[in-house]
Amino acid sequence: MGLTENEFTVQFIATLIKFAIMAGILLQLPPVMVWAERRIPGMMQRRKGPNRVGIFKFRLYGIVQPLADTIKLIMKEEVVPEGAQKAFYHLAPIFSVFPAFLIAMAIPYGPDIKAFGFTVPLSVIRVDVGFLFIFAVSSLAVYGVTIAGWASNNKYALLGSLRASAQMISYEIPLGMSLIPIVLIYGTLDLNKIVEAQNHVWLWGVFLSPISFVLFLISMFAETNRSPFDLAEAEGELVAGFHTEYTSAKFAAFFLGEYVSMFVLSCLASTVFFGGWQVPFIDILKIDDAVGFTGVAALIGFLSLLLKAGFFMWVYVWVRWTVPRFRYDQLMKLGWHYMIPLGLINVVLTAVILAAVRF
Amino acid sequence: MNPYIPVLIVLIFGLTLGAILSGLSTFLGPRNPSPEKSDPYECGVPKVTNANEKMSVKFYLTAILFILFDIETIFLYLWAKAFPNLGWFGVAEIMVFMVILVAGYIYVVKRGALEWD
Amino acid sequence: MPDFSLILPHVVFHTFALLITIVSICVVAARHPVKSAVFLVVDLFLLAGLYASLDSHFVAAIQILVYAGAIVVLFLFVIMLLNLQQEQLKGIKFTVVEAGALLITLIGFLVVIFNALAGKPTGLGDGSLDVAAIEGAGGNTQVVAMKLLTDFIWPFELASMLILMAIVAAIVIAKKDKKELPAA
Repeated sequence: MGLTENEFTVQFIATLIKFAIMAGILLQLPPVMVWAERRIPGMMQRRKGPNRVGIFKFRLYGIVQPLADTIKLIMKEEVVPEGAQKAFYHLAPIFSVFPAFLIAMAIPYGPDIKAFGFTVPLSVIRVDVGFLFIFAVSSLAVYGVTIAGWASNNKYALLGSLRASAQMISYEIPLGMSLIPIVLIYGTLDLNKIVEAQNHVWLWGVFLSPISFVLFLISMFAETNRSPFDLAEAEGELVAGFHTEYTSAKFAAFFLGEYVSMFVLSCLASTVFFGGWQVPFIDILKIDDAVGFTGVAALIGFLSLLLKAGFFMWVYVWVRWTVPRFRYDQLMKLGWHYMIPLGLINVVLTAVILAAVRF
Repeated sequence: MNPYIPVLIVLIFGLTLGAILSGLSTFLGPRNPSPEKSDPYECGVPKVTNANEKMSVKFYLTAILFILFDIETIFLYLWAKAFPNLGWFGVAEIMVFMVILVAGYIYVVKRGALEWD
Repeated sequence: MPDFSLILPHVVFHTFALLITIVSICVVAARHPVKSAVFLVVDLFLLAGLYASLDSHFVAAIQILVYAGAIVVLFLFVIMLLNLQQEQLKGIKFTVVEAGALLITLIGFLVVIFNALAGKPTGLGDGSLDVAAIEGAGGNTQVVAMKLLTDFIWPFELASMLILMAIVAAIVIAKKDKKELPAA
């Protein structure tokens, strides 16, 4: 490999540390998001939302509520339905958590840290194929849903999982197509290079390819089975969809998977369309020299990305309490009849404009 | 360092983490099963049959069309990656490719293969 | 201490090869079709790992994206569509076709083993595409893309014809005309 053993050791340890930090953040997502998903609609509907649970006298707007919920979920009895495919029933939550985890590690969270002669990239995974890796792994997320529904021996679960998997694969195509203009514009598949190219607000993807952003935003909701596309768990018809028969910690694991994939897509949207770890109007790569301390730029970049991703998470909740649910035929029609042609037109248009400008 | 070593690390730790998380209540929760409790949920009534209904052929059609358009998307990615080196020749290439596929797409729409009625 | 950056690729390759063999046997041996399909996903995922360990990053990604992520979903849907259940145990009886298939597989396997032992090159590389040269030309994906869109332009355009044919065939098989349906 041409690397010294020393560098290998440094990179290996750096990878472990980065993974530990990211895993820590990802595991905090469900509690925070469950709290946000109850407080924000409370605000929108002029009611209070959870505000009772607290530690001693400190209630802090009920922020401890999700902690209580988590402990309750873990301590509950696990009920396996009769006639279930045992092995697959137990494997399905793992199948739905780990693709989301793997993708989360491939997003660049900040500029490279250069210290002591080593360059440490601020994403755990950085491969040659760039975000094709993200698509590849995210296409595996279908199995968690399909297997969960099939293994439960429950009609609602089976119907929910079929709906969800057909919906997820349908919207994977517009999602993939929406990012082709981005590759055309920035000329690379490497997410970190795409972020580096967006070093000015007017070079952000959202201004260079607005149609892509719209397509991506819509597919984002469909891919995570979130309202207004939450047909898979339409409470009025399918009880709880594919996780009807799941209880206790396994039920929580599905929530973890859902929130992590929401967070990953939020990060991806911020990275590709809103400059990722770049801060508007500031050259972040010069911060380290200006402050005279390595790592400040990385920290600021990380916070910048978290802020942007947080905004998209808020949009998820906002849309959930604003837009009514689609019907299944409307959902499929939107995906296949409108978004795919729009995606193709977008690709051709971008290519022709780029060719006219560049060649 | 090989770029796939982090992938392996994440894979191993991620799977372990998932297994521990979803297995927690197996060890911490109580366990007193009863026939009623383990009956599959059907809104309160005892279950009539097992859940092995045959599904609509539309799901199959959706899946096969998904594969085909997925492959098309991948070809488009490859083309997008090479686009800066190809210039107008690349535009012409993809136009031919697209026209053939759009013909197929129009056939799909006209036959109503994706109508969920 | 031995230079383990030289040994590691071999260890990774053979580990993957062993795992793939074991999981492949599970695919064939599993009695329930859904179980076979899930083993197949694992198998294809491991194959992608094998490609990645051989520095074929693009093929590895496509392996997961198309095979593990799309084609096995179709398999699962077909299994559920036909409502296949646990396979009944049958006595092992070879038909002529099965015996022929087994024979051809064995011959192919022996040819590969023989070639490997004789040290013959099994690939088509002429040395211009070694790892360092690919890195210099902008990475694996870039090289594959340029090759496909310049040298292999006709196969590329023909691929779109192939996809078109597949689209038409799928619809002809799966979709009946409205007028052929009995009145509901």
